[in-house]
Amino acid sequence: MIAAFLERRGLLVAAALLLLAPLVADYTPFYLALLTEVLVFGLFALAYDILLGHTGVLSLGHSAFIGVAAYTTGILLSRWREMPVELAVLAGAGGGLAVALFLGPLVLRKRGVYFAMLTLALSQVFYYVVLMWTPVTGGTDGLGNLPRLFLSAPLGGFRLSKRPLALYFTVAVTVFVAMLIIRRILRSPYGRVMRAVKANERRAQACGYNTKQVKLVAFVLSGLFSGLAGGLLTVTLEFVPIENIYWSMSGTVLIMTLFGGTGTLLGPFVGSAVFVWMRDFLSKKLEYWEVFVGGSFVLIVLFMPEGIVGTLRRLVGARRPAPVAPAATTEAAPRAARSTAPTSRAANGAAPLLESRRLTMRFGGLTAVDAVDFQVRPGELRAVIGPNGAGKTTFFNMLTGVLPPTDGQIFFQGQDITALPAYAVSRLGIARSYQVTNIFADLTVLENVRIAAQSRVTTYNLWANADRLAGVNERAEGILALLGLGDKRHLLAGALSHGEQRYLEIGIALATEPAFLLLDEPTAGMSPEETKQTAEFIRSIAGSVTIVLVEHDMEVVMGVSDRITVLNYGRVLAEGTPAEIRGNPDVRRVYLRD
Amino acid sequence: MLFGYPLDVWATQLFIGLVNGCILILVAQGLSIVFGLMGIINFAHGIFYMLGAYAGWVTVRATGNFWLALVVAPLAVAVVGMLVEVGVLRRIYGTRNANFAGVLVTYGLAIMIPDVVRMIFGRPGKPFAVPSVLTGTLFTFGGTDIGSYRIFIIGVTAALLPLLWLLLNRTNLGMVIRAGTSDNLMVQLLGINVARTWTVTYALGAALAALGGVITAPLIAVAPEMGGLILIECFIVTVVGGMGSFGGPIAGGLLIGTVLAITGMLYDVLADVVIYLLMAVVLLVRPRGLFGQEGVSEE
Repeated sequence: MIAAFLERRGLLVAAALLLLAPLVADYTPFYLALLTEVLVFGLFALAYDILLGHTGVLSLGHSAFIGVAAYTTGILLSRWREMPVELAVLAGAGGGLAVALFLGPLVLRKRGVYFAMLTLALSQVFYYVVLMWTPVTGGTDGLGNLPRLFLSAPLGGFRLSKRPLALYFTVAVTVFVAMLIIRRILRSPYGRVMRAVKANERRAQACGYNTKQVKLVAFVLSGLFSGLAGGLLTVTLEFVPIENIYWSMSGTVLIMTLFGGTGTLLGPFVGSAVFVWMRDFLSKKLEYWEVFVGGSFVLIVLFMPEGIVGTLRRLVGARRPAPVAPAATTEAAPRAARSTAPTSRAANGAAPLLESRRLTMRFGGLTAVDAVDFQVRPGELRAVIGPNGAGKTTFFNMLTGVLPPTDGQIFFQGQDITALPAYAVSRLGIARSYQVTNIFADLTVLENVRIAAQSRVTTYNLWANADRLAGVNERAEGILALLGLGDKRHLLAGALSHGEQRYLEIGIALATEPAFLLLDEPTAGMSPEETKQTAEFIRSIAGSVTIVLVEHDMEVVMGVSDRITVLNYGRVLAEGTPAEIRGNPDVRRVYLRD
Repeated sequence: MLFGYPLDVWATQLFIGLVNGCILILVAQGLSIVFGLMGIINFAHGIFYMLGAYAGWVTVRATGNFWLALVVAPLAVAVVGMLVEVGVLRRIYGTRNANFAGVLVTYGLAIMIPDVVRMIFGRPGKPFAVPSVLTGTLFTFGGTDIGSYRIFIIGVTAALLPLLWLLLNRTNLGMVIRAGTSDNLMVQLLGINVARTWTVTYALGAALAALGGVITAPLIAVAPEMGGLILIECFIVTVVGGMGSFGGPIAGGLLIGTVLAITGMLYDVLADVVIYLLMAVVLLVRPRGLFGQEGVSEE
């Protein structure tokens, strides 16, 4: 019950705690200063977590953001001694933003460990700039000699220097407001896309999201708020130690974030408190306190990867609404909407919806797809068959923008889409499912479909509430009902059975409202019963969407398709109606020999 | 004269660059092998370098024999490496984000272990004498004194690299390591005991770092902090040269060693920043590095 209350009224509780904390800290300037520092580092860790916990990107270069910001604020204050503090802090945030805008497009060209190394290398360049620019930055001595700090008259004109309480409330209000803004952004449709990128970047692309751009936005936001923390840090310490811009600072924020728990709002602040406590108290009690810091960090990564807050939440069980009672679950099975006679669908005279001309893919010496001419008419249900290694999946990968073809062209609705990236292809109305199940395993079943449906809403911003987008939830629910997965909407997708995951896979593709759907072996690994249901399901949706199906199960292929294309060694071996293909001697030879 | 420096100063700097490059090669080979097989950025690698120097110091103090230290240090640290692999790293394989977790746990070790060493050996560094046979100047080259010990370092590296190459290319273990680098799952499916291979590989990486540490010790003091700087330099070497390839660390080590020595002479303050910039440029232009294999962990 307490947990549920905290879940709903967490912000109020946080605000009350911030207000009352000075009382607990007993007005001792020393404790109050520490508390202020905890808040500043908490904001830094929260900004860092926008990237790590919410977008799944590990940066080792955040020292550049907080460092450049801290020096910007410090230099401004030390040079223009009348400058109001809030202006200098905002300028610091601007410094963090500028660094992020400059570095982001460079470093995001790489992923994973290479991204991490690149951020580390480039952030160190800023350290050396500070080191060499001693007249302005103070070099290794750090930047001191700041004037007495005042807020501007419109903000009350309070003096902050030597007045811990005024400083504390200034910082607390700023951090609280920043936290509200970050919270809102994370709950916006954009925040949801970040989560999807973290869960499965490739799949997010296939849903129509420009994931590079999403990561860039997250990177820039992270830089901006880290910069704000950097400005506040200078005001709090009234000094800029050179450690602020050294790479160990990036390690510190990583440790704080993981200690507290990634992906939560509270975690970074808890982590910051733990870290400041270790640094200030433990280091007095224990001479070799870093053994403790490093050791506990290793233990947290090994045994509590969700961090302190994440683990507590799991233990209390407040993470999400109680799962639906198991009694309500039924065998998941796509409901057949209506069955249409297979032959009546394809409009024979119409221009092709999708066409490939001499489409070719070579990997080194191997030609996987060799000059394939291929046409699908609107409303058709086409099957593509062929022995293993015939180039079917490679062909799909080219059609969906995953692999740039070596040669040839692809047209969709008359438009040349050969050079388009995967997300742009998806936005035109081409969706696909994958041979190897490719879903957002860490997101709920509903969110899997919802994020795909959301991709069709093009005018969302950072400020909207993702759960209240017009039409998106309804569409997602509709798809879940169609799949027979409505009862499991709040389960994590990774917890579904194999067959259910295969349905969800198709559901994600359908949620993007495609005009053209590619299904790559939808029945792979299914039981005979599931296979039958899936075939039924494919037939039922075929009325509303043009489908190309790769499939090994001949019964399914012959049962559902209007026409069949046979690939062999990357070439088109034959094409025709199921009856024609069955009678084709070339096809019989290839398949009987196999 | 070239850029205001006489040619013999250039020669001296190039020689120093070569020697430092050799040390970087030894240590970076270990980092590269571990990365290639296990996909882990091993932040603990600098620790093994430092521990190697300490193990050497302890051996010399106990026996007075530098040559023994040269053998004992890598072996002792290899055991430490095995313990780390079995006790810590093995727990994270196969978990989601294993690469992240690998960075994180080794980073934690990199914070922790130096303090453990301080606890045992105290904070100040330990002097480590050059063995008497190798003191003094071997010969003079263009006005430059070529110290015997530095020649010895070059010799050790030159002797060791072919052995390492043979180990990686002509033995079963090496075959498994290289196969695992390109397709780990397949190697497991072939029924090869990958767990043991990984332990041995990690220990091999640690031993190479330790050898680098003990061989460098006479040139600098042995101190708990010595692992930090070399770690970053070796990251740069492996990234520039190409992670997980044999030629990569060699080319990278020689390049970075030389660049450090030359910029150190021309404009001291720039020396460090130049190698960071070099790494950034290589990552952006040719992410797999100068010698990295195509397709191996390109992203």
